[in-house]
Amino acid sequence: MNPVARWLLPLAWLLTGTAYAQEADQVLVVPLEGESKVRMRHSMDMQGMIMNANKDVLPSNCEKISGDVNITVRAGRKYAKKFNGKTFAYDQQQWAMQPCSRVTVRFINDDPIRHQFMIHGLPEYLYPPTGMFMIELTGPGEKTATFILYKEPKTYLVHCELTQHMESGMKAQLKVGGGDGDLPSVPGLTPAEKPDIYPMDWTWKAAVVFVIAVIVGLILIVVISLVLRRAEALN
Amino acid sequence: MTITKMLIIVSSIGALVWAAISLFSSVTGQVGVEIPPTLAVLSDLPKAEKLCGIKSNKWRVKREIDGVLVSASTRCIPDNPWEVAAFVKGTNNVSMQTLMSTRLASDAVIKENDRDGDGDPDVIHIRLEVAELNGSSPDGELFLPTYEIAPGVTPGLWVFAPKTRGMAAINLYSYAAIPELRAPSPVIRVEQGDSVMITLENTHYFPHTIHLHGVDHPYLDAQGRGNDGVPLTAEHPVMPGETRTYSLKPRQTGTMFYHCHVQTDKHLMMGLQGMFVVEENRPNNWLQTMNIGAGLVRHSSVAVKESFDLEYDLHYQNIDKELNSSIQSANDPRLIAKQMNRVYDMTDATADYFLLNGHSFPFTLRDSLIVADPDQHIKLRIVNGQSEVLALHTHGHKATITHYDGIEIPQAAQITRDVVMLGPAQRADLNLSTTDDGLHSYGPGVWLFHNHAEKGITTDGRGPGGDISLIVYRSFLEADGMPKLQGVDIARFIEPEYYAGDRSVWGRSSAAQLLGEAALVQPGLIWLIAFGVVVGLILGLLLWLLAGNKALGADR
Repeated sequence: MNPVARWLLPLAWLLTGTAYAQEADQVLVVPLEGESKVRMRHSMDMQGMIMNANKDVLPSNCEKISGDVNITVRAGRKYAKKFNGKTFAYDQQQWAMQPCSRVTVRFINDDPIRHQFMIHGLPEYLYPPTGMFMIELTGPGEKTATFILYKEPKTYLVHCELTQHMESGMKAQLKVGGGDGDLPSVPGLTPAEKPDIYPMDWTWKAAVVFVIAVIVGLILIVVISLVLRRAEALN
Repeated sequence: MTITKMLIIVSSIGALVWAAISLFSSVTGQVGVEIPPTLAVLSDLPKAEKLCGIKSNKWRVKREIDGVLVSASTRCIPDNPWEVAAFVKGTNNVSMQTLMSTRLASDAVIKENDRDGDGDPDVIHIRLEVAELNGSSPDGELFLPTYEIAPGVTPGLWVFAPKTRGMAAINLYSYAAIPELRAPSPVIRVEQGDSVMITLENTHYFPHTIHLHGVDHPYLDAQGRGNDGVPLTAEHPVMPGETRTYSLKPRQTGTMFYHCHVQTDKHLMMGLQGMFVVEENRPNNWLQTMNIGAGLVRHSSVAVKESFDLEYDLHYQNIDKELNSSIQSANDPRLIAKQMNRVYDMTDATADYFLLNGHSFPFTLRDSLIVADPDQHIKLRIVNGQSEVLALHTHGHKATITHYDGIEIPQAAQITRDVVMLGPAQRADLNLSTTDDGLHSYGPGVWLFHNHAEKGITTDGRGPGGDISLIVYRSFLEADGMPKLQGVDIARFIEPEYYAGDRSVWGRSSAAQLLGEAALVQPGLIWLIAFGVVVGLILGLLLWLLAGNKALGADR
């Protein structure tokens, strides 16, 4: 396959949404402007796959790697038990890192089902076709892979893309350089964009409190009007 | 109050009420000589999109992949042939190049050990996940991943899905589900006598099981654990994040069924149901272990190929949107469980959507056409996954029922007819002959086949919809795989507005002028003011009576 075709394949995937063929551990060489070249690695075996691991190619706006960060991320049903109404979660929900950090993720799946550590919003020319880095585990086990962060302060979405896993709690945020805000519905951290409506516990006690509050409101109006009249009379 | 005053008041009210009644017609749309015109005719509407429009697709051609022959498909968007090859050889036996051309996980279907030495593997390990389609999100008013059963129609669904890898949406810029995540749950094909393991990897937030309906399987597995998939008897449901392996070595062949047996009435109707086929044991019988979305089988078994030219899997389902919207009403599984299991009452249920192979008309034409040539024998495997009776009618053909519930009917007792009745969960195998003899076939054409229980051909009560599809002779097929319709334009059925009830049935037809939408009647300004003043006078008079009661009393 010639280099141009190799470069076009991810684009074809983006446009058509169809999977494209590629050997495991095959290194793709993507020509960039000038002399620099980007090497991407998609590897797959019976334990899972890694997409867009990158140990050594710097984003264009990073002069050098600011430092190495190693994180261990665990995924599983048990990490959701502390969050009411959630089913799956990571053991952490937030990370803070310096721009241009080289991040090595040791991803451990504690469940016998599939989970992913997927991060979106990375530069697309380095993490084609959509700026995604991912570690997927088909079942219990672990994989380790590395990627390099961009310079701009940004909050990145980290999630598992199996249907309803993010919605069920497997969602976290990675803040680079302080981030650019918070993502919604990160378990234990931020409220949902579209919160659920729960039944209210309307007891007699609550009803009495409400009625008393209403009476207080009425009395307040009377008091205020009396005070105003008195003030008027004094003037 | 004096009698005179009272008389004046009563007669005033009477006169005003009479005036109001007289003027009421001016605001009800009653018209005189001027009849409102037709609102929109064909030329006024924007051009509708094409149903397919993809003239060539590399997935349609017949090809050999890793030694597996994958037959041609005329479908608009056909099954990925590399995926078909991976299901035939096993994801452990295909080349990495082939596997990477699919979205399957490396352990989706493991095939090994030709124990009887007849040239095909006899130990088959299938892994199924549970996917939610059109489920709610705490991140906004959106359903993820989105799966349209018909234009603009996205009911919540649960399906068993082949174990895949990567994203659930087709790409980052779309919410649309990947083709592997769809209704119905995939057709599973195994060979008689194979040692089959089916592992349910419960990736969902509800407990589930797999019950093999009609498929020969032991009640307990080799370790003495429940193997029937029924949480009422020998086993607990498979909890979220857990797995269970069901094992079987089926001795009998036939078209069977599999479904979740947890809160069966709900989970089965949510979509956790699929066709299960046990094929005859033959030498070199490499089976297409899964047929995603049912429909054309692109690599049929040895026995089927001996007797038939083509094989189609047809899976019928219906949906009560009240049940299926349970997963769209909340995100917290406790709220969903309450809505689904305690608030929703299935005894009050009415089905709203009717699906053939996961789609309603017109989307059925994209992936569930039966494409035939003259003088063929076509095997149709049908499962009725509906909660109601299916009365499947074939236009232009009388098919022969060869099997009921997987059991072959003796030749002399086989019935040839044009309506096949199936109760819920029943299956039938049909031999559809395209021999033009006036009995089996009336000749080439574009022939409807549909449920003749009439609501089955509607989508939320709007027709044509539901499970309508077509038997299309190849000479009546366009380059994009869609039928030639002798100039009939079905574009109006591709518009979401049509099934939302916002568009006239006849709006895009030649009868648009006659039967289209009548324009809204503009209220006449003078009549509107007159009616308003009279209503105001009545209200004012009543208020005056109420407020002035004391004054009136004092006057007395």
